[in-house]
Amino acid sequence: MRFLLVDEILELTPGQHIRAAKTMDPGEELFKDHFPGFPVVPGVLLTEMMAQAAGKCLAADDAGQGRPMLARITAASFREWVAPGDLCVIEARIRSRRARFATAEAHVDVRGRVVAESSLLFSFVPHDRFASAWRDEVLETFQKKARG
Amino acid sequence: MTTQDATRWIARLFQESEDALTPATPRDAVPAWDSLGELTLMADMDEKFGIVLTDNQLRVMAKVDDILDVLRNNGKITD
Repeated sequence: MRFLLVDEILELTPGQHIRAAKTMDPGEELFKDHFPGFPVVPGVLLTEMMAQAAGKCLAADDAGQGRPMLARITAASFREWVAPGDLCVIEARIRSRRARFATAEAHVDVRGRVVAESSLLFSFVPHDRFASAWRDEVLETFQKKARG
Repeated sequence: MTTQDATRWIARLFQESEDALTPATPRDAVPAWDSLGELTLMADMDEKFGIVLTDNQLRVMAKVDDILDVLRNNGKITD
């Protein structure tokens, strides 16, 4: 599987707030192991959904600091099982942003109920560390649509 | 907050047991006080105390008391 855990951005206020969506494909091989007969989306992937969404929110307001990278999961909790095929709505709010770090609070909802939440710390990695051709297609698609 | 409370807060921040650190504990003796630990320190100082640490301040921090000094200088330690 590719490690793209945001399918679509639904709302975005750059640097402040994001709502995004992800549905895990029931055909993903990982569900054969997690767990046989009782497939559930792993908590680490729910956390990664929140981190990727918050990262896109920060990246959309790039102040030249670099690309936001998850540095610490300050807290994470999981309230309900999430089944493959469930629509996960991810919401993240940036709490603080400084030159070297940013913090965010995020949660994932399924059918209007919070199933996971987290507090995240990001650092910034210079853009030249990454492949120059790398584009965030999900973010660019949203920005293109927003521009009309 | 007392010096003891602050020292315990620093210990928790760096994932040490609460009584493991004293003001004299050198940075080298705190494994989690690495580059990620610095970020954590910056973020928690900002969020909990409204103190924005500069790179210069971070660079000269060599022991726990240097962190306590920042809190003292910002009126966060009362004893």
